[in-house]
Amino acid sequence: MSSRLLLWIRRISQTFFLLLFVFLLVETHLPQDVYLDYSVAFSTEQDIRLAHPITFFFQLDPLIWLTSLLSGYHLIKGFWWAIGLLLITLLFGRVFCGFICPFGTINHLISWFRPALKGERMIRANRKAPSQRIKYFLLITLLLGAIMGINLTGLMDPISLLFRSLGLAVLPGIGTGIKSLFDAMANSDIKLLNLFSYSAEIFVSPVFGYGYQAYRMAWFIGLFFLVILFLNRIRPRFWCRTLCPLGALLGIFSRFSLLRLVKDTKKCTDCKLCTKKCQGAASPMPGQEWENAECLVCLNCFDSCPEDALSFKFRWSPGVNKAPDMGRRAVLGGLVAGISLPFLGRLDGRVNKVSDARLIRPPGSLPEGDFLRLCQRCGLCMKACPTNAINPAITEAGMAGFWTPHLVMIQGYCEYTCTLCGSVCPTGAIMKVSAKEKIERPIRIGSAYVDRGRCLPWSGNAPCIVCEEHCPTSPKAIYLRDDIVQGPDGKGFSVKLPYVDLKRCVGCGICEYKCPVRGKPAIRIIAAGESRSLRNQILLGS
Amino acid sequence: MDSRQFITRRGFLKRLSQLSGGLALTGFATWPIQIPRLAWAGQKSGGFIVEGVGQKENYSVKLLVRNVFDAAGGIQKFISKGDVVAIKPNVSWARRPQLAATTNPEVLEGVIELCQEAGAKKVRIADNTIHYASRCFALTGVGIVAKKTGAELIYPRSSLLRDMKIRGHRLDVWPVFVPLVEADKVINLPIAKVHGLSGLTLGMKSWIGGVGGRRNALHQDIHQSIVDLAQFFRPNVTMIDATRIMIRNGPSGGSPSDVVAKNTLILSDDPVAADAMAATVLFGYNPKDIGFISLGQKWGLGTYDLDKLNQKRVLL
Repeated sequence: MSSRLLLWIRRISQTFFLLLFVFLLVETHLPQDVYLDYSVAFSTEQDIRLAHPITFFFQLDPLIWLTSLLSGYHLIKGFWWAIGLLLITLLFGRVFCGFICPFGTINHLISWFRPALKGERMIRANRKAPSQRIKYFLLITLLLGAIMGINLTGLMDPISLLFRSLGLAVLPGIGTGIKSLFDAMANSDIKLLNLFSYSAEIFVSPVFGYGYQAYRMAWFIGLFFLVILFLNRIRPRFWCRTLCPLGALLGIFSRFSLLRLVKDTKKCTDCKLCTKKCQGAASPMPGQEWENAECLVCLNCFDSCPEDALSFKFRWSPGVNKAPDMGRRAVLGGLVAGISLPFLGRLDGRVNKVSDARLIRPPGSLPEGDFLRLCQRCGLCMKACPTNAINPAITEAGMAGFWTPHLVMIQGYCEYTCTLCGSVCPTGAIMKVSAKEKIERPIRIGSAYVDRGRCLPWSGNAPCIVCEEHCPTSPKAIYLRDDIVQGPDGKGFSVKLPYVDLKRCVGCGICEYKCPVRGKPAIRIIAAGESRSLRNQILLGS
Repeated sequence: MDSRQFITRRGFLKRLSQLSGGLALTGFATWPIQIPRLAWAGQKSGGFIVEGVGQKENYSVKLLVRNVFDAAGGIQKFISKGDVVAIKPNVSWARRPQLAATTNPEVLEGVIELCQEAGAKKVRIADNTIHYASRCFALTGVGIVAKKTGAELIYPRSSLLRDMKIRGHRLDVWPVFVPLVEADKVINLPIAKVHGLSGLTLGMKSWIGGVGGRRNALHQDIHQSIVDLAQFFRPNVTMIDATRIMIRNGPSGGSPSDVVAKNTLILSDDPVAADAMAATVLFGYNPKDIGFISLGQKWGLGTYDLDKLNQKRVLL
């Protein structure tokens, strides 16, 4: 096959998988038009599920499979995709990086669209550098950390990172922008603008919805993403060469790759065009030893060589390729970091000793230790949560739980019969539960308590009952008692005072969300009482 | 001078900001608060009230809807050809219809079909839900009714809330869900259920779902707020869905044991009378004891004295 054709196959494949990733990302939300037939299917509480296989890329990612297995002893659903990918890597090298990886494609696009360096400087930037060992250091650290009980893979795994960045920062960022524009147009007094904003909002709603999505620390997630993109100006595909732990893993597996770069030293005129175009800094030039583990199989060198001195060929000879150049320091450093990280992560006591009152995990979450072994911090549950309650944790879960999901009840609440987060979790850190299970067991995520100093009727300021009205359990976990309280003027007036029945409360948080006392509501949820923990309980139980 | 004048990036930004600032200013200047359609109107006389009861087992809810409207003089009495009709069901909660937290979708379907038969240009379903709207639409059955009948289901959103003069005794300016105001005819289609503070959730209370903003603060003077809103919205006709009613744990319920089948529909052009009849017939209250009903009469919104109205009863 001609090199041109192969190059176009690569480009089409990259475009396809990038678009597929974005499509699945956009589809990771509850559609605005779900239709359920009320007359037939409603013998029990109905589960609403997403239509598309939105976890596909997470199933394809061998790093997620491997760390989930090593850390949480859990075989994630659809893991055979990842095994298939490893087999392909064994045969063809890092084709995932060159042909499939959506994050690689984005980096590739940016490096290609405006190359920061020209001529000789580009050739120098594309020479293999010692910094490329960092990714092996990261891989070893993450794998060892996972074995030792703290799975931080998701912070650096390209699929998780890309989903988190696009889903929690880029998409909501654009959405917030256009939503404010629509609101401004709808508020204007020009009828044409009103009508335009009305139909335009319906038009974009399948992607952006109708509300303002917001995530805590999303600015930092976005900034982190931008920095990674910017690094492409220092060296093309900086992330893939230097940092990507998945690339490192695939690099190690490509050791036995049958697809090899065959160099013809005699034909080479030393023009260095291959090095100039090389995406992985894999020493494609004849005379240098090809770095098989660094090669992203982008086929640029093959295509750019004017003398046909380079070609990718299947060689069935049993010999192995050049070993990945990890460097002793990177390996040792990785070992030390990987062993110490889990201990460092536990030093703040969040895992074993104290639990933050505001660490309210999504319904169906595993106990905290197991949760941290599986959660990839990918943001799928956060993007899928219809009420926008699930947010990345900052300090609530300690260092080991940075960016893991937790519910912020002033931003949203957990809908009583919604079980979407568990159904989208790619690793099973949040179990898949049905609405029936969630209600009947019940699955508690915390408990409510009344802050009597703030509460309007308790403090004698006004009648209210909003919390009781919204309480979704039947019988209600928030009940009212008629009483006489003293108002600010000293006169007594009769009110209904809210009380919480802890036996019934599931901690859904709608009371906190709807409480008229804004900011720090008069009724709040604490994690105590959550059913996933045996220890974090309040009542003795029966 | 060189005819080709290049605009610098800085200059462009400057000009852009001037332009958009100017536009924003014009927009702001021409942005009055909308004048309400109706001020406090006097009490209408010669109103009617129809109670329809399905007595047979497996009676057709849609047929009952039709018969009740026919008893009131037919749907043509309310809907003219070419009208834009806004229907306000109660779909506050993401609950299946059997739990009686939301308007029965069959009733809604029946009313939409009648409006379409009467030649309505557009039928819109609008409610500012409490739970997440698309879950409400899916679980209550409203979504599939809209799809089946071709009615337009309006997704509640901030761009459709606009500050309007309520001119009530308690509420002055409040964000209102625009589709319920910008319509030729408005039909209120609430469900009957109990409520912790106001006693009952019926037709007038359902208008809390017609506004946005800090509506959880309305509870601080719930009865007057309800009457203010009912006065503002003034539906052409109210049909209270009592095919199933919620008698406990209102207004959200959640258990089949909270529900009682009453197989009743109440239709009236008098919002106070409709609520009064529902309170009496369904829940056994004296309407005077329900704050918003007696206030509604006091402020001339209607009457709870049903004898003043033309009463009819339809059995199926």
